[in-house]
Amino acid sequence: MFACLLIPDFPVQAALLLEPKDTREVLGRSPIAVLDGPTNLLKVVALNDAARNVGVKIGMTKLQVETCDGVSLRNRIAVNEESAQDALLDCAATFSPCIESTCPGTVILNLAGTEKLFGSPEKTACKIAVYARQIGFHLRIAIAANPDAALYAARGFLGITIIPEGDEAKELAPLPVGILPTTPELLEVLESWGIHTFRSLAALPTIALVERLGQEGLKLQKLAQGHLARPLLAVESAPKFVESHEFDDPVETLESLAFILNRLLQQVCARLVSHSLATNELRLTLDLEVREVQNGKTGEQYRHEWKLPVPTQDRNMLFTLARLELERNTFSAPIQKLTIEAVPIKPRIAQGNLFAPPTPEGEKLEITLARIRGVVGNTDAAGINCVGSPKLLNTHEPNAFAVQTFSSATEKHDLSAGSPGIALRIFRPALETSVELADETPHFVRLWKKHRRVLAASGPWCSSGSWWNSAVWSREEWDVALKTFDGIGYYRIYLDRLRKQWFVEGVFD
Amino acid sequence: MSSCSLRALIEARIPSAFASHKRLESRTILTGIPEVDSLTGGIPIGALTEISGVGKTSVLVSLLAHASHEHYCALVDARDSFDPATAEAAGADLSHLLWVRCGKTRQKLRPLEQAFKVTDMLLQSGGFGLIVVDLSDIAEKVVRNVPISSWFRFSRVVENQHTALVFIERQPHATSCAGLVLKLAAAPATFSGKLLTSFTLNAEVIRARERKGVQSATSDFSIKAQWA
Repeated sequence: MFACLLIPDFPVQAALLLEPKDTREVLGRSPIAVLDGPTNLLKVVALNDAARNVGVKIGMTKLQVETCDGVSLRNRIAVNEESAQDALLDCAATFSPCIESTCPGTVILNLAGTEKLFGSPEKTACKIAVYARQIGFHLRIAIAANPDAALYAARGFLGITIIPEGDEAKELAPLPVGILPTTPELLEVLESWGIHTFRSLAALPTIALVERLGQEGLKLQKLAQGHLARPLLAVESAPKFVESHEFDDPVETLESLAFILNRLLQQVCARLVSHSLATNELRLTLDLEVREVQNGKTGEQYRHEWKLPVPTQDRNMLFTLARLELERNTFSAPIQKLTIEAVPIKPRIAQGNLFAPPTPEGEKLEITLARIRGVVGNTDAAGINCVGSPKLLNTHEPNAFAVQTFSSATEKHDLSAGSPGIALRIFRPALETSVELADETPHFVRLWKKHRRVLAASGPWCSSGSWWNSAVWSREEWDVALKTFDGIGYYRIYLDRLRKQWFVEGVFD
Repeated sequence: MSSCSLRALIEARIPSAFASHKRLESRTILTGIPEVDSLTGGIPIGALTEISGVGKTSVLVSLLAHASHEHYCALVDARDSFDPATAEAAGADLSHLLWVRCGKTRQKLRPLEQAFKVTDMLLQSGGFGLIVVDLSDIAEKVVRNVPISSWFRFSRVVENQHTALVFIERQPHATSCAGLVLKLAAAPATFSGKLLTSFTLNAEVIRARERKGVQSATSDFSIKAQWA
């Protein structure tokens, strides 16, 4: 058996998909028309039943629609319809692995072998309807023995239609021939013969029909009889978890943006859950409105990427991360379009250990780190992260380190605890100083605006590196004991031999 | 009105008014310096500890090296003076260390305020066995102006957590809010020929909530340079 899921007034339902559930229900009952076309000649391309009842028709101009009371207008946005189609495919994928994306707003799925999982065709149809309602779709569902019979039943009948095998011609009989996929000329011929319904087309003598209309006529008759069997053109590509929203008017406030962002993340996470997947990489793209289009400049984009240490399906956590990032930024222009992409990965399966020491909870930690970055900043002037785990670089250059992402999921390293040693506190950046030498040994060091007498000096310790590239360094280190205002201080000073400049690197403490 | 009925009346309005506050069982994290550990019993978990004086960074690094094998640690570095090379040489597991470098970018808050705010966030987040806040390079007059209520708040928050909260400062400031106050002092360093080889430090316990009878205990110990 094959089931056809059809979204009536697809552009209208796609436009409402981003609205919250309650608002969507209210809006769905009020008249809505979707406009498309050139800006100066917008015409109605889709509308719902409430709009039909107040006299709105396909092809009316915006001005004509505005004369009808209470009709809300929406612009047709391609990305919204693509997202809605993806959501419909995901909905179908929950019930069958073999799906055909027949056309925008319509999918056909093969239900063979799913009886033990979902029950009879009636029960399956009800379950599909309930599931689709949760996503935000009001579907027409038809189940029949072949894909085309299911498709035309869904196009012709409201609600749920179940066509028993062998009864296709009888069930499809009252449908108008206008819904068949043919040319206007052929339809005109059928009209002139007085053929208005599937019943009358199915009853025509086959040979006489082929003599007059050729193979096209035979195909139409088989469709009308519900006897045309064909294989499904199954969707095979891996699902992409991308959701976009293009604003009718560019937004400037964070609240407006956050509202849509939340809805998009909700959809992405719902799709991830339906595929039993999670994400550890989230990408946000904001298309900014360009106020002055010059020199062929098409627009600016803001991109940000989050790499999470643990896979997650938690929409609230992802939303908090994105919101914290947006709060930190100021954009040069209003935002025209918002795109969210989640890279799918298998969910984490981890068992807690009663006897292990407590670890920061992965999802909570990510939000904490984002908040901390909001307080201390992302990176310093050298581009090194301000928050993370320190890692020494393999350059042999003193004080060369990187700060990598901190994760509570890191493996425990088998390091033996070393013996306690004298620690150095680093001055970042190193303090420029002047040194007076006596017998090639530091004698006076200028520190905190005063010349300090060197009581003892250990050195010189010479090192150099990266002589093969532009990051070349060469230095001469001394550990010195200086007489300071609060006693004796032990400092590390060095001479940058390339710049011929002395620095105080740090203090032993 | 009798005292019993008065007590019942108050308890009806404020249930926890007469509730006795039970401390968690005393647990500690060792610093890895035997003399300091025998003097203090270790850094108390669920309490605020202050370490001050010359040699505090060496004790801090030893503590991180010891704690990072068992716990996730966080270091809130108010002036970005931590040296990862020293910590790794001491045996610290740097992958278990969250290093927050305050004061590196132009932010609205000053480094001390950043450090306190970040500490609050880390305490609320939970899961860290050790949180160290290094205020050593913040001017003394600035730290002195921190209201006692801030120290009290930290002390109360950490009380109910399995976290040791350690402040590294020039001088102790938390007064009675601290569970342990350790003050260090250094004798002149030892040079072997032309080589700086070791520090001799003196540790003094100014305050120890768990060891009320042994306040002002001192101990001398020596810390060698890594190259010695």
